[in-house]
Amino acid sequence: MNNDFKIPEEFHLTPEQLDMLKEIGNIGSGHAITAFSKLFNYEIEVSLTSADIIPFWKVEELFESPKVEVFGIYSEIHLTSDLSIIQIFTKESIFNLVNFLNEDSNLSVENVRICEDLDELSLSIITEIGNILSGHYANGLADLMSIKLVPNVPTVALDTLNAMLNRIIAKYSQISDYLVLIKTNLALKEIKIDCVMCFIPSLNILKNLFKILNIKYNMDL
Amino acid sequence: MSIIEPIDQIKETDRNGNISVLIGHYALSNSKNFLSNRKPTISIYGLGSCIALVLFDEINKLSAMSHILLPKASPTKIIQYPHKYASFSVKLLMEELLNRGAVRENIRAFIIGGSKIFDLENNDVGFNNIASVKEELDILKIQIIKEETGGSKGRNVIFDTNDFSLYVKSTGETDFKKIY
Repeated sequence: MNNDFKIPEEFHLTPEQLDMLKEIGNIGSGHAITAFSKLFNYEIEVSLTSADIIPFWKVEELFESPKVEVFGIYSEIHLTSDLSIIQIFTKESIFNLVNFLNEDSNLSVENVRICEDLDELSLSIITEIGNILSGHYANGLADLMSIKLVPNVPTVALDTLNAMLNRIIAKYSQISDYLVLIKTNLALKEIKIDCVMCFIPSLNILKNLFKILNIKYNMDL
Repeated sequence: MSIIEPIDQIKETDRNGNISVLIGHYALSNSKNFLSNRKPTISIYGLGSCIALVLFDEINKLSAMSHILLPKASPTKIIQYPHKYASFSVKLLMEELLNRGAVRENIRAFIIGGSKIFDLENNDVGFNNIASVKEELDILKIQIIKEETGGSKGRNVIFDTNDFSLYVKSTGETDFKKIY
């Protein structure tokens, strides 16, 4: 057996490291929200960012209602290893958002049951919103890490949150039974929008970040 | 590869007599032993690229479901949750049934899941999962009698351990439909 691999339980992060990840999440989401707010003239409420290290089968517990169908806008950043950013909107939020940005649009829970029910323009508006959010989030991180981070064009899905998370969990739990998830909630009361932005770094990225920020780490994974 | 004490069997049902199987976990049922009229169900809500594997012996009233995440483990990894991997789960689930009195020839399988939710180029986890589970079942000569796999929609699955019926609801549908 390869000695480089430790029992998963030994992979943990100290409160200091988690705080640092929260701060990184704040920087990323700060950039994203600034860009997002330019689309609207309303104030955006932002929750504190949380950073968790969690076993793969418990990820769903981080979310309020993992069994409900929501919109997920997902993009990946290819680097030495991968980074994922996913924005999760409730159905109503996405419809309110699209209807707000496009006066001709009249989306509602009744006329959109699956993603294919969306017209091309609405779908591209949603993708573009995702693009703005993940692009600026990544920019914030890139500034911090002095590297280039360019997310690919996001893909949009309308499905249960659990089902969407499958792919992300599968991607990261090849190496470790634990994954790190940094999450920020934002809300826009005037047009009833609720969104959760999640940033999932790979272990490689974490190591990189800790190195740059000069934080001691012990992750022999 | 080594497996350290599996800690992944879910034994408790919720108030409605349902067992919800988390990723990398499994649940077992022996419906011969039920003295009350409780009819336990085993379910997974929100299957994307994951696979719900059900193995059952209808004659001896034994059944099990696992929630598989990946096709196989990387060779250097210490396995704490074997049911995360198709390459372990199929074999282990069958052994569990045999240990409790199932007869190998009676064991049948359902497989559900393995969809591709995000339309990405490199997103073939679901596809690989299906292939891997089928391959393992083939090696053990277990017959798949119902399959609902692939596509681009998530699924919810309910398996009734009392009469071995299977209900599936895809995203966008309003009701569960009985498929077996």
